[in-house]
Amino acid sequence: MKFFSLKIILPAVLISIIPFISTFSAFAAGHGKIVIGHSACLSGKYAKAGEQAVGGIEACVDWVNNEYGGITLGGKKVPLKYKKYDCESKKESVTSLIGRLITVDKVDVVFAPYSSGLTLRGAPIAESHQMLYMDHGGANNKIFEQGFRYAVQTIGPATSYHKGTLDMVKKIAPDAKKVALAYEDSEFATMVMEGAKNHAEKLGFEIVFERTYPKGTTDLTPLLSAMKAAKPDFVLGGGHFEDGQLFNRQMADLNINVDCLSLIAAATLPAFSDALGHMAEGVMGPSHWEYGVTYSKEAAKEKGKQWIGPSQDEFVSLFKKATGDQKMLPDYHAAEAGAQVLAYVLAVEKTGSTDSDKVRAALGDLEFMSFYGSWDIDDSGLQVGHSMVDVQWQDGKRVIVWPESAQTGKPCYPMPTFDEKKDGKKALP
Amino acid sequence: MLLEQLSGNLIQGVVLGAVYGMATMGLSLIFGVLKVVNVGHGAFVMVGAFVTLFFFSSLGLNPFIAIPAAFLVGILLGLAFYYAAIKKLLNAPELATLLATFSAGVLLEETVKMIFGSEYRGFNWDVGKVDLIVTALPMSKIFAALGSVAIALLLYVWFKRTRAGSAMRSVVEDSHGARVCGVNVDGVYAMSFALGIGLTVASGVLLTMFIPVGINPYMGGGYTLKAFVIAVLGGLSSPYGAFFGGLVFGLIENTSYTLFAFIPGVEPFSLTRFLSFLILLIILLIRPTGIIKAK
Amino acid sequence: MKNRLSPYYPLLPVFVAYFALFLVGRNVEGTWQLVATLLFYCALGQAFNIFLGMTGYVDFGYVAFLGVGTYGMAIAITGLANFPQLGLGIVAIGFVLAIIMATLLSTAVGAVALRLRGAYFAIATIGVNEGFRFLIEGANLWNGSSGMIFTAQLNEILGRDLASRVMTLWADILVLFIGALAAVVTLLYMKSKIGYALTALREDEDAAKVMGINVTKYKITAFITSASFAGTVGAAAWALKTPYVFPPEVFEIHYTIEAIIIVMLGGAGTLLGPLVGALIYGVSKYYLSIFLPGVQLFIFALVIIFVIVTFPEGVVGVIKRKTRNTAIGQYII
Repeated sequence: MKFFSLKIILPAVLISIIPFISTFSAFAAGHGKIVIGHSACLSGKYAKAGEQAVGGIEACVDWVNNEYGGITLGGKKVPLKYKKYDCESKKESVTSLIGRLITVDKVDVVFAPYSSGLTLRGAPIAESHQMLYMDHGGANNKIFEQGFRYAVQTIGPATSYHKGTLDMVKKIAPDAKKVALAYEDSEFATMVMEGAKNHAEKLGFEIVFERTYPKGTTDLTPLLSAMKAAKPDFVLGGGHFEDGQLFNRQMADLNINVDCLSLIAAATLPAFSDALGHMAEGVMGPSHWEYGVTYSKEAAKEKGKQWIGPSQDEFVSLFKKATGDQKMLPDYHAAEAGAQVLAYVLAVEKTGSTDSDKVRAALGDLEFMSFYGSWDIDDSGLQVGHSMVDVQWQDGKRVIVWPESAQTGKPCYPMPTFDEKKDGKKALP
Repeated sequence: MLLEQLSGNLIQGVVLGAVYGMATMGLSLIFGVLKVVNVGHGAFVMVGAFVTLFFFSSLGLNPFIAIPAAFLVGILLGLAFYYAAIKKLLNAPELATLLATFSAGVLLEETVKMIFGSEYRGFNWDVGKVDLIVTALPMSKIFAALGSVAIALLLYVWFKRTRAGSAMRSVVEDSHGARVCGVNVDGVYAMSFALGIGLTVASGVLLTMFIPVGINPYMGGGYTLKAFVIAVLGGLSSPYGAFFGGLVFGLIENTSYTLFAFIPGVEPFSLTRFLSFLILLIILLIRPTGIIKAK
Repeated sequence: MKNRLSPYYPLLPVFVAYFALFLVGRNVEGTWQLVATLLFYCALGQAFNIFLGMTGYVDFGYVAFLGVGTYGMAIAITGLANFPQLGLGIVAIGFVLAIIMATLLSTAVGAVALRLRGAYFAIATIGVNEGFRFLIEGANLWNGSSGMIFTAQLNEILGRDLASRVMTLWADILVLFIGALAAVVTLLYMKSKIGYALTALREDEDAAKVMGINVTKYKITAFITSASFAGTVGAAAWALKTPYVFPPEVFEIHYTIEAIIIVMLGGAGTLLGPLVGALIYGVSKYYLSIFLPGVQLFIFALVIIFVIVTFPEGVVGVIKRKTRNTAIGQYII
């Protein structure tokens, strides 16, 4: 009897020890290469954005190694490596994987996962190891009010999402007065709302409707009916991918016609127009980056800024190569993650070291331009250099309509009514 | 103005409620017969949504044709899952079936994700719109509601008029007694589970007709929670109770917003969700058999 | 062999396991954050087991107690940030607040929901969890959906170095102690009247009532104990380890499911079960995410269905059965 139980327990003990032993054998990043560690969201609720980010990072790492020839460090060209794990979009995994990246894989920089929550989750671990922590998916401004010394942001802060749209309406439609704000009730979207509200008040708009809707809602009818009654000239709102399509669709169902509708996160994606067809015509959305932006080497030269990285088209083809999916186009999640690679490369070259303190200091002084646009951070690490663009669906295509300096087409204002759109009218300027 | 909004929401609530009700019948049927709570309910709704999407976008067929197809897919899924797991767990504690149905839901979500990706999809089935002055209703929504009522009626007739239906009712009343009277209880279990899943997947088609956007592998979570509230409103073990529970729920969801909007400093829409769970608790406490009497 | 201490022998493997985890984490380079995650799962399972394992009631809204615990700590730190001289005292106040809030919520829920049984109880507790979250968001309680981010305040109170150590080390050690304490309480309950009463209840609640056992009293005791442990886990593993709280994250139903899986894998109602379940779950999840990124949920779903169908009594349940009446058996309950 006793022997039998040992037979069960012994293997069990052995099996449970194996994982710890195997960490010894995990390779340590040695000299001769620079490693980016990333706890990516490949599954779980942020899988969509996570997949994009990984594609963007791989595309830029590919560019650095094969086009750029590696990072110049101490007179030598050093290759850049990318090490990623899947954090399942869960905070428990974020800390253990970032711990592993820093101590076992000995990476030189850690890229944060997607979302503000998960970014916050990893930050203390990176701080305690004095490890540079680069944020490409956490837009909450408050992250940078916490006094983190090694956190640096590439994505623009949430409060700036709808500023451009408001500026645009102010300029092209001086008669428009009444704005409705209807955002998702989440930390990110309410922060966007706060930024929009402050900016709208500053510009002298009248806020006639200001409400939120819970995350994961499947029917916005009561909110939209109330919004209709407020008779806004234009509507700003949204939250994530889920609700944007619903918002637009149900506005069409209820026949709520406004001069301009701008939705965050969802409206800039190809899936938005695929799902909604003609109803998406004329709908706008702010984006950190969009295919078609006019950031180029020449533009950088004009502004006197340093340029690095692939051109826009090169980035797209490298992205397709990295994801192995010819149909998938990079969106802003890919672009901001890719741009973060470039920022890191420049900072390392500038300071001639991979030491996190030195690279962080170099990033603080860094100002450059890439396919993603300008990049500049303030003392807290908050991204202040990057400006957003506003995209509008015109005849089934995404056109960048704002700011004027980046536009690929004029905005269509007011957008056609839903009935007109149904009869085939396109939102052309 | 307020009256206009309220009456508009009332109409919207009835239409929505009919679809919600139908989407909960499968859950109640399975609980009524097998005493199993299908925590993976929403994932089966999601499968129905993908069937619709496939029929409409890839094959170019009317969404109504997707209903029998989705029903069939559901029956097959239900049978497979019943014989693979549920059958062996009928006498196990609740914990086992709760976890098993939850895992089945995750399995479906991840499988669909591997096949179709996690993109948010949608389609546009445009069959006109009715303007009711106080509100506007697209015909697709009206069709979805009518389809739900028709399916509920069919189920009712099937229950009352067929041998299999009465066997099922006898098991709901008293499974031991039914066994003694020569009813093939095991067969009834398998059939009810398959039928319940079939109804749930088919309801995914109707929900997608109602809201033809935002289709993705993880869309089901919200429907699971809603279905719980609706099922409890209807007494948890009665499919028709669930149908009327859906109507009541649709009305509550649509009208309470307008009322909550009067309270300053709150988010009225989130409060409507709070209200629905509050109602769930109150009903469970004072009247676990549900507020709707349905035979 | 038989002596006064022998009833407490089963604690030995528990303490050995926690100590081993601690040693591995501190001495093997790069494993501390993994160990921290494992400790979180251990504590979560151990706390949940007091209620789920002993009564057989499935609380599907268990995560709500971790959630209010997190809020308790968050409120203490943000509310008392102006009194940095209190230092670690604020953290202590945070724990007290976490326990009070979890106790209050569990008393309220217990008083009403524990009248229900089986599936009705499970659904009611989901309702509590979701309802509470929407109340916070809808009524803008504690900043509503914007939540609270308070790393800066923690830095202010404890100083940057100590705060950093709290976030990356001491919070995890606290979780370890909470887990171990939950194990001790589990054993004490098992060996006392409440344990016998709950066993009777789990087998047949009506029979237990007829026999004159005050089942309600014992159920509520187990419920509140389990909930207050959950509150401290939330305060340590969430609020202290990562000083922020967003409502959808701390009321995320997936944590309840994880807790159920852990208890179930290890063996519901056994002392060692949650620990074994947490180690199996945590370690396999970690390595799946490293070697097979993107498919771990799929694999887990399959494994769980397989486990439930083939050995529902869990790993420790099986071992316990096989080692009954052996020398080893007295360490495993």
